[in-house]
Amino acid sequence: MNKNLSTEAKYFVWIYSILLLAYPREFRREYGPEMVRLVLDCQRDTYTISARRRLWLRTFFDLVRTAPRERLNNLRQENKLMRKLHPNLVAIGGCVLLILAAMLLLNYGRSHQVPSILLFGHVLDAVVFTGVVGNVIVFLLVKLTRLRPLRVAFWTFLIVTLVPALALTLIAGADPKINAPRVVVGYVVSFMFWYGLHWLWSNKLKASETV
Amino acid sequence: MKVPTRRPEEFLPLTPAMFHILLALADKERHGYHIMREVDERTNGNVKLGPGTLYGSIKRMMADGLIEELEERPDPELDDERRRYYRLTDFGFRVASAEAQRLEQMVRSARAKKLLPRTKAG
Repeated sequence: MNKNLSTEAKYFVWIYSILLLAYPREFRREYGPEMVRLVLDCQRDTYTISARRRLWLRTFFDLVRTAPRERLNNLRQENKLMRKLHPNLVAIGGCVLLILAAMLLLNYGRSHQVPSILLFGHVLDAVVFTGVVGNVIVFLLVKLTRLRPLRVAFWTFLIVTLVPALALTLIAGADPKINAPRVVVGYVVSFMFWYGLHWLWSNKLKASETV
Repeated sequence: MKVPTRRPEEFLPLTPAMFHILLALADKERHGYHIMREVDERTNGNVKLGPGTLYGSIKRMMADGLIEELEERPDPELDDERRRYYRLTDFGFRVASAEAQRLEQMVRSARAKKLLPRTKAG
C-alpha cells in the first residue's frame, strides 16, 4: 500500500479490499486488484477531508449497487440446466413445505385429540389447509404475471392440492371420515373457485391494459 | 477476442456508463483510472464512475467484443505495469457510433418539440 497515504485512507482501502468479497469470486479474481488500485488512485487525487468522505460514500454505494448485480449475472451464467431447475426446485420445495405443515397439523390434531376443525376428519382438514394456503400463495405469485388462468388453475390444482392430498392419504392412512363423493365435490368446487379467481384477475389485468 | 455475431443496433440503447466508457476509449487506449478521470472531466464532474460500475461494464463489453485488453503492458518506469489497458474494437466503434446517432436523433426530436433551444446554425 502506498506510503504517502494517510492512515485513514489506508484503512479505507483495506476495508474496501475486504468488502470486495461481496462480488462473485471470478469477478474478484479478474478485477479485484484493479479495483483496489483504482480506489488507491482516487484517494491520492483527493486532497480535502470532505472530498475524501464523498469518495468513500460514493465507493460504498457503488459497491452496494453493483455487487448484487454481479452476483445475479453470475447466477444467470450458471449452466442452463441449473437455470431451468432453479424455479422448479423452488416450487417443489414449496410443496414439500406445505405437505410438512399439513403433516404437523395432522399429527397435532391426532396426538392432542383435537376434534376435526372442519368436520371432515383430520386428513381432510390437512388437505384443505394445504389447498387453501397453497392456492393463496400461488394466487399472490401469479397476481403480477400474465399467465393463462386455466393453465394456472390446472397446475395449481394438480401440484398444490392433489399431490399433497395423495401424499397425506398415503402417509397418514385412511381416515374413516373420508367420503369419496364429498371429496370429489370438494375438489371440483375448489378448482372452480380458484379458476374463477384467476380468470377474474386476468380479465382485470386485460381491462386495465386497454385503458 | 470474441468475434461479434450481432448487429450494432442490437446493443442499443447502451447504458450511460457503457457509452461513457466507449467515448473515453474512442480516441486512445486507457486503463481503468484513466477512463474514470476522462469521464469525470468530460462531464464536468457530473458523471463519476465507481469501481464496480466501471469494471462491471468493462467485463460485459469485453464479453460482447466492444472493447479489448491490450496485450502489451506499459513501461514499468512510466506506469505501473500491473495496470491493464483497454481499447475499442472495430465493432465497439460501430456500436458507439450507432448509439451516438440514436441520441442525435432523439436530440433532434426534442429540438423539434421545442424542448431545446435551436442552435445558431439551425
